[in-house]
Amino acid sequence: MTKSLPIIPEEARAPRMIELQDIPVNQYQKTVKDEKDNFTKEEFMNIYRDMRLIREFEDMLMSIKTTNAYKGMEYNNPGPAHLSIGQEAAAVGQAFYLDKNDYIFGSHRSHGEVLAKAFSAIRKLDDAELMEIMESFMDGKQLKAIESIRDSEGSVQELAVDYILYGILAEIFAKETGFNQGLGGSMHSYFTPLGIYPNNAIVGGSADISVGAALYKKVNRQPGIVIGNFGDGSMGCGPVWEALAMATMDQYETLWEGDMKGGLPLIFNVNNNHYGMGGQTKGETMGYGNPSRIGAACNPRQMHAETVDGNNPLAVIDAYKRKMKNIEDKEGPIFLELVTYRFSGHSPSDADSYRTEEEKDAWKAHDPIVTYPAQLIEAGVATQAEIDEIDKYVVDKITQTVKLAIDPVISPRMDLQAEPRAIEDLMFSNQKVASFSDAEADMLQTREELKDNVRVKQIARRERYAYDENGKLLSPNRRYQFRDGIFEAVIEKFYEDPTLIAYGEDLRDWGGAYAAYRGLTEAVPYHRFFNSPISEAAIVGSAIGYAMAGGRALVELMYCDFLGRAGDEVFNQLPKWQAMSGGYLKMPVVIRVSVGSKYGAQHSQDWTSLVAHIPGIKVVFPATPYDVKGLLTSALNGTDPVIVFESQRLYDVGEQFVKEGVPAEPFEITIGEPVMRRTGSDVTFLTIGATLYRALEAADKLQEEYGISAEVIDARTLVPFNYDMVLESVKKTGKIIVAGDATARGSYLNDLAQNIQNLAFDYLDAPVQILGSRNWITPAYELEDDFFPQADWFIDLYHERIAPIAGYTPVNNFTDGEILRRNKLGV
Amino acid sequence: MAVPVIMPRQGQSVESCIIGEWHVAKGDKVSAGDKLFTYETDKATFDEEAPSDGEIIAVFFEEGDDVPCLLNVLVIGEAGESWEEYIPEGATADGAGASAAATEEEAASAPEATAKAAAAPVSTAVATTPSVAGEHPVSPRAKGLAAKHNVDLRMAAATGPKGRIIERDVEAAIDAGFVATTAAGQDYAAGIAGSGIGGAVRVEDLAKVPELQSLEGAALIDQAVLSLDEAEYTDDKITNIRKVIARSMHASLSEMAQLTLNASFDASNILNWRNRLKALKEKGMDEKLGLAILQRVPTINDIILYAVSRTVKKYPDCNAHYLAEENVFRHFNRVHLGVAVDTPRGLMVPVVRNADLKSITQISAEARDLAVQCNEGSINPDKLSGSTITITNMGRSGVESFTPVINPPETCIVGVSSTYEKVRSGKDGGLELYTAMTISLTIDHRAIDGAPGSLFLQALIQTLENFDLFLMGS
Repeated sequence: MTKSLPIIPEEARAPRMIELQDIPVNQYQKTVKDEKDNFTKEEFMNIYRDMRLIREFEDMLMSIKTTNAYKGMEYNNPGPAHLSIGQEAAAVGQAFYLDKNDYIFGSHRSHGEVLAKAFSAIRKLDDAELMEIMESFMDGKQLKAIESIRDSEGSVQELAVDYILYGILAEIFAKETGFNQGLGGSMHSYFTPLGIYPNNAIVGGSADISVGAALYKKVNRQPGIVIGNFGDGSMGCGPVWEALAMATMDQYETLWEGDMKGGLPLIFNVNNNHYGMGGQTKGETMGYGNPSRIGAACNPRQMHAETVDGNNPLAVIDAYKRKMKNIEDKEGPIFLELVTYRFSGHSPSDADSYRTEEEKDAWKAHDPIVTYPAQLIEAGVATQAEIDEIDKYVVDKITQTVKLAIDPVISPRMDLQAEPRAIEDLMFSNQKVASFSDAEADMLQTREELKDNVRVKQIARRERYAYDENGKLLSPNRRYQFRDGIFEAVIEKFYEDPTLIAYGEDLRDWGGAYAAYRGLTEAVPYHRFFNSPISEAAIVGSAIGYAMAGGRALVELMYCDFLGRAGDEVFNQLPKWQAMSGGYLKMPVVIRVSVGSKYGAQHSQDWTSLVAHIPGIKVVFPATPYDVKGLLTSALNGTDPVIVFESQRLYDVGEQFVKEGVPAEPFEITIGEPVMRRTGSDVTFLTIGATLYRALEAADKLQEEYGISAEVIDARTLVPFNYDMVLESVKKTGKIIVAGDATARGSYLNDLAQNIQNLAFDYLDAPVQILGSRNWITPAYELEDDFFPQADWFIDLYHERIAPIAGYTPVNNFTDGEILRRNKLGV
Repeated sequence: MAVPVIMPRQGQSVESCIIGEWHVAKGDKVSAGDKLFTYETDKATFDEEAPSDGEIIAVFFEEGDDVPCLLNVLVIGEAGESWEEYIPEGATADGAGASAAATEEEAASAPEATAKAAAAPVSTAVATTPSVAGEHPVSPRAKGLAAKHNVDLRMAAATGPKGRIIERDVEAAIDAGFVATTAAGQDYAAGIAGSGIGGAVRVEDLAKVPELQSLEGAALIDQAVLSLDEAEYTDDKITNIRKVIARSMHASLSEMAQLTLNASFDASNILNWRNRLKALKEKGMDEKLGLAILQRVPTINDIILYAVSRTVKKYPDCNAHYLAEENVFRHFNRVHLGVAVDTPRGLMVPVVRNADLKSITQISAEARDLAVQCNEGSINPDKLSGSTITITNMGRSGVESFTPVINPPETCIVGVSSTYEKVRSGKDGGLELYTAMTISLTIDHRAIDGAPGSLFLQALIQTLENFDLFLMGS
């Protein structure tokens, strides 16, 4: 409890100085000669081989991008290739100690990190483990593709190197035999069996995701560390700062208990190549001098921030050795800056107009592919002949890899004509996994003790159906509420799935903005249920990383209006990774989003349409206690990202439709099925969210005053959506109003309307009507009735555009002229 | 001084709180800061503390009560002090607890109890005047329904937005009987008004189309002359209705053996008789004599209607339906006169039923009413069907004789032309002028041979030439 951490005024107001420790920069200056006793010859040579393989790999891509050929083999690669030529030492040094249990996340420029990590992890696995991985991953698809070059006498390690080179290159060339079936490509090529997690085409995109993976490691007591790789340019990105904030929360030290006490096993690794595309971070676009300055500012431990010479592999290895010890001592997370330089442009199309040839030439003297072998020879570790032999080896390796990867028979592309559903099938995993771990769930209260939980007792006193035996609506405190449905679904899953963590703003002691979580504080320990910083991007991004790593995350955005703050995470990350992994990753992330009212323009928006627009997210909007419990339970049992919208108008509604009341036991409602709320014969109302209740009010009025019988269907889900019930209804009534609280223009209401119109055109007696909010700012609560659709709007719209009602005088203007006028003005 | 303690409002959205536990009871002494009771919202449990020293002199609620925010919960004061003025609404005054129900702003009966009897039904109007096909947009649903039931959409009121014909309009048209039979429907393109006679569309109506065309054509020519356009000509697409009419007309003529007999007669008798009545009426004799016939002097057409109604009784084959497909030759006991009426919307044929039983005055009045109703579009569709013989009058168009087309399945149709001067040999051996009219009788030769047909025509002419005597005799 933060009550145990009093804010003492004398302390807060006392005069003092915050002391900053020095940030080491390039303190390691050793060469091979100095480290001769600390590495074997094999290790020294492997460092060179790995760097050289990466360089050849990148040179090959550069050749193909710029000349459409490599070593006489012609190939056109229209996709991207952000090359890391010059940064090999940083990648290989980073990977030196890493094994498959250590997870790396990357950027758009991560071929080197991926290959280096793979080579290192391969060395640490025995032959049987390697064969198991290669034979089982995608049923051995990649292994079969390289069958022709397999040397029966050769080592499994060498085979694994060929396997990795092929799988990554085939992926870059968008081949079905790539590690992600060609759906990831250059900027998203990865191979999770060796701990290589997604690279990210969004600058800094991996920062908050890596925080989530580190949370997974920590909370689930998994071995290994997590490294988030990103460039110096990403230090200008808000989500990166949010990731730093979330990774360095005091609570890991102050509130997390037992073995959970202590920092995250995470290294933020900034590869500082000095350019964020064409912008020069030092001297131009940033003011930090070195990114390590930012890391050092984040917490009293200064994140052990350090700047290291990234062109010296030994310096990087040394730094990683020390930093991994810090993590072992629970002093993570770490901030590490590796100083390096890319000789290649941002991409092959980059004309390098922002830097001089002199600058590039000067750095060539510091090229690790030149300096490191010179040191090997100088130190007597290797001869020139041995270096030449490696050079020949890598060219041969890359040549044979290219030959296989460009072969259309061995390496075909996904055939969307022959298999039109190939990508469709990967958009959602649609699985039911009750628990992602067999471990015992960490809880503060046993299921038995839960009976005494303050919330459980409160719910026990409530009636699970909203009306008493006389048909009278029970008062909020007497009835089981919407928020109780949330609580029951969530607490059940906390017991069932030990990997489940839930966090967001103000959840724990506060109980969430609308008290849905009241009672969880007493039942769930801090490390599974905690308050996050006000960092919406990091809240969602970390949940994505947590799920990628193997756990289940439930996060909350207190207001729908804050979705924009998590825009990249919701739009670019959450929906993409299942399909971009070729179906290998699951994304069991549930985001609860509260849709506001009463609080004006920035706290009252229904943005369901924004997320429904993005392929790859399931979107639900329950409007009753029964539905929220059933849909949330389904979401929490599933393997797909689900955004659950909840209207703040509804947190205290009782269950008015299911007469048996909301079951105390867990139950599921299939995501994607609308529900009939009232049958009728003259017109159909299809509603999203809280609009249901205004539609029912309108239906009452139409029936009582005009004898018009309205059928009311609650969509419950936006994506996916089964139209059958709606179409049946429209075939019966011939008329439909699709209504929701989102501002009408461009809203999902139009999507529903369009499909209904398409599928039931011949049955329609009037054009499908949509009823959304006005295209304004949301005004003050007192003015909301003129903004959000009200019951009389339904009747007005019916009268004006569907079937005029004799003697009826509409209040709202739904005429052609008004529609044209508003659109002309864009309002 | 007595101080009431209210149920605090813990947040804007909290409307009531449940009292969890009482720490004090009535009569207890408390000091400021003492815990009085705990209360619970959805978010948390709170303790309410005594705001001042004193004795608990009144308690209005019990544990577990759901108390609306801002209501008085208890009163602190001095023993004996009055507290009654602090009794909250809905609570009893004995201080030992109260009705706990929160004010139920949203109190409502359960959903199943809300159904009430339907109030004012929606409009079930039909068109007051038939529309021109295509004049009103039709909803896809209405179109489908109309096609299914062969509804004449021109008779559907357009009560939808922007003059759209919607489902309820078609339903109303169905209820009103503007429906073609299945047989008719086959020749009746979906959603297009068929023969458009204005009433229920029947097989008979379809076959009547050629007749419609000739009459309507004349009207169109008049209109065109009146409103000469600047353009030399206009190319219009052939409408679907025109195609249907063309097809039906061709079918009608090709399937029946139509034969027209023309005979002129001396119209002097009926004209004189009529002029006499008019003269009497002008003298005001209508009132003096109290004769209904003078109220409205019958027209030439009325006279012919009357003559047909009586004459045709003797020629049952001419007051009949020839139903070849059913192998039935249906002879009617009564005469139901179809009277062709030219309206702006098109030709309509209302029916004077049981005309053989009605006086000329009655027939005259009824025919006039029916014509007015057709022009206004207020005609009851029931009055647009069931004729056994039809009279069509082109007298106003100056036609001397023509070929009326039979209204199937009737066996004949009587065409009336205009009067004209004719010459005949006089009694004195010289020539004499007289006013003549032509009756054009088209018969279905399948049902009636030429000779019997001509006998009916002869009889009709004799009736008309001796109309005053005929009236006396009937």
